[in-house]
Amino acid sequence: MKEIEVLGLNEHIQEELKEEKRVIAFLLNEEFIGIDIKNVTKITKRLDITPVPKTASYILGVMNLRGNIVPVVNLKKKLGLPNDDEKDQDFILIIESALGNVGLMIDQVVGAITIEEEDILPAPINSIGIDSKYITGVIVTNEEYGSKNLLILLDIEKLFEKSSKEESQQER
Amino acid sequence: MNIEITPDMQEIFEEFIQEAEEILENLDQELIELENNPDDKELLNQIFRGMHTLKGGAGFLGLESVISLSHVMESIFDKLRNGSLQLDSSIMDAIFEGIDILKNSIASLKQHHQIPDTDEIKDILDKLHAVLEQKEPTDAASQNEQEPPAKQQEHNIQIVFKEGVDPDIQKLILSYPDKNIAEILDELILLPPEERDMDLIMKLDKIIEEQKDVDDFILEKKVVQKSEETPKATPPSPPVQKEPAPSSQKSPPKKVAKKEESETIRIDIERVSTLMNLVGELVLDRNRIVKLTSRFRANEENTETIEELNEAIAGMSRSVSDLQEVVMKLRMQPVKRIFSKFPRIVRDLAKKLGKKITLELEGEETEIDRSILNQLEDPLIHLVRNSIDHGIEMPQERVQKGKPETGTIVLSASQEGDRIIVSIEDDGRGIDAEKIKQKAVEKGLIKPEQAETMSDKEAYELIFMPGFSTVDKVSDLSGRGVGMDVVANVIHSLRGAIEIDSVPGEGTKITMKLPLTVAIIRTLMVGVNDRIFAIPLFSVVEIIKYNPEDIKDVGIYKSLMLRDEVYLFFPLNELFDLQNESENRFVIIINIGEKNIAIAVDDLYGEEEIVIKPLGEMLEDVEGIAGATITGDGKVVLILDIKSLINEKRSNLVGVI
Repeated sequence: MKEIEVLGLNEHIQEELKEEKRVIAFLLNEEFIGIDIKNVTKITKRLDITPVPKTASYILGVMNLRGNIVPVVNLKKKLGLPNDDEKDQDFILIIESALGNVGLMIDQVVGAITIEEEDILPAPINSIGIDSKYITGVIVTNEEYGSKNLLILLDIEKLFEKSSKEESQQER
Repeated sequence: MNIEITPDMQEIFEEFIQEAEEILENLDQELIELENNPDDKELLNQIFRGMHTLKGGAGFLGLESVISLSHVMESIFDKLRNGSLQLDSSIMDAIFEGIDILKNSIASLKQHHQIPDTDEIKDILDKLHAVLEQKEPTDAASQNEQEPPAKQQEHNIQIVFKEGVDPDIQKLILSYPDKNIAEILDELILLPPEERDMDLIMKLDKIIEEQKDVDDFILEKKVVQKSEETPKATPPSPPVQKEPAPSSQKSPPKKVAKKEESETIRIDIERVSTLMNLVGELVLDRNRIVKLTSRFRANEENTETIEELNEAIAGMSRSVSDLQEVVMKLRMQPVKRIFSKFPRIVRDLAKKLGKKITLELEGEETEIDRSILNQLEDPLIHLVRNSIDHGIEMPQERVQKGKPETGTIVLSASQEGDRIIVSIEDDGRGIDAEKIKQKAVEKGLIKPEQAETMSDKEAYELIFMPGFSTVDKVSDLSGRGVGMDVVANVIHSLRGAIEIDSVPGEGTKITMKLPLTVAIIRTLMVGVNDRIFAIPLFSVVEIIKYNPEDIKDVGIYKSLMLRDEVYLFFPLNELFDLQNESENRFVIIINIGEKNIAIAVDDLYGEEEIVIKPLGEMLEDVEGIAGATITGDGKVVLILDIKSLINEKRSNLVGVI
């Protein structure tokens, strides 16, 4: 403990190094979106989805993920983005949330990218079509993905929190 | 008092907690039995042994207050069994009070590693000591007599020890010449706290850990008197000299207990659940393989290979079915586990209310899935309390009505095919259907005209409706109702059914039908609009062809006429707010508790045994869906819960449905 205090400078640098993050990035329409890699369980090709009657409209149904039943969500609909017909979407991102595993329909996977915590900026209000309460922050990227060079980091905890269950019941 | 448990003691600690809980639970029931048969020597011995074991375990862990308490209670039981103390109601109350404190102590030990200090339980200790000294105050506790017989034998035997044996151990072996190390350890633990030498106990513990025994320390053992030639058969345990009968009874059961120990193991319930899941997967895989093979059979020309494959699959199917059954049985427990709590509940509550009630238990050995059993406990307590509170009348009222003064409640369990029937029957005042209807009308649950056409049995069903009862008003009604909707919900969530039968003035019977297991059910696969759903087979009454001429419009809903019976009729797609894209071809009559309803579907795909999987937290409250399963071809099929599906229509339907 004392040694670290003496080498205060070192400690600082190490901490900064640790603040790197990896996110899985994908496209929804023209938006470049990232989800913290620790929330992502799996990326899979679209499988058979069984619709579940009497559920919120953004819930597509359930699918069989290695013997487990996983609900699949139309992410565009959930986030209120346009062009929300999911028929052409070929990939499902399986994430781990407070409500268990959830499948998210996405347009195109970009890949895993490394970001630095200090580059994260607060979400611009109203400039993108996504409610800012679902966003942890944004990052300006060097390359251009979609139409902008802006990576939007989604807040999975907020997007699927326990109380949103009632919401899903009411919205139907 | 904080109890510290070192990591190496953890296992012993957990075992003790489990054993103590079991003993205390059994004690409740045994004591009630004893109250009815105070002279049952065998029962007394059993109770004594339970308390003795508890004390032993507590001694090993150094739980002072538990030791003191169980010690004095053990002494009371000892006196009861040798007849020097006569059981009466006040002694029983003191004993029960003591047991409750023991239960609380064990519970707090389990959760917080804490037990009360001996001072804190002084009141009950004094009370119990007073009971103990009631008759023969000079009679010391049985433990104090342990020394004389042991010392006496010391002279009968000569033992030559090997070199380097701990002198303390030598002394011990000499004091207990015909016992092995484990038994000596038992004896030490049972000594009163002030005589107990913890160092010695630790030493013995170490010896046992090293898997050594008395023989490893002894060179030669000479028996001086021939009375010692039969050392094992009649171990001269302390009470022998005074009361030969109980002690000779005491030794054989001890051996039986040891035998059981080697033949049963305790398994973490998590592991059983994992096993259950794996078997479930295996069942699904088997179904898939069977389906694939049948596809092969159509295409493949090499019939011989197909035949062989079929044989292999048939063999595998058998094994999987057997495996499934065995694993299912692992999770089964006798209902006794929860039934045994009731004698005490009935006794205490009856006493409090000044009623006289006998509780009869039937079919305690009936086994049911552990998770169902766990969830069944609260509803059962609820129903039994209701019977005591509102069912059984006060003694004088019963006499006036020409009934026996003592009321009877029968709690029974039995198996009928793949269902378990649990019922609670009392000979109390019964339920007045008219009052129920009146109340339901007042509450706005039904319309007055509905009440008129309603049968008594339908009226009883009203009790299960949410909002029917409030705590304060129920007591002036003839009875039941407090949280009956909660009871019905639990039973329903277990895919069970509950019904009430009552004869006013004569009694009430509540019957619950429950599945044997929660994980695997037989279903009927049906199709609507090219979607497949599974309906639990136990609720399917019959299947008929759809004929539009049988359907009549009655008010808001349609109904189906079948053999002079009228059933409420719904096409399945309407229940799910789906457009009707194809033609209904079949009608399934489904039982939803008291009534049957008719559901129209497009296709039938036959019966299938399926493993129920939860839909996940996001969708767990979806109405009409009980869960999902994965079929042989990997598709997800939803399992219907017809009763909850029509629930929202139900409020309009009271009296009709």
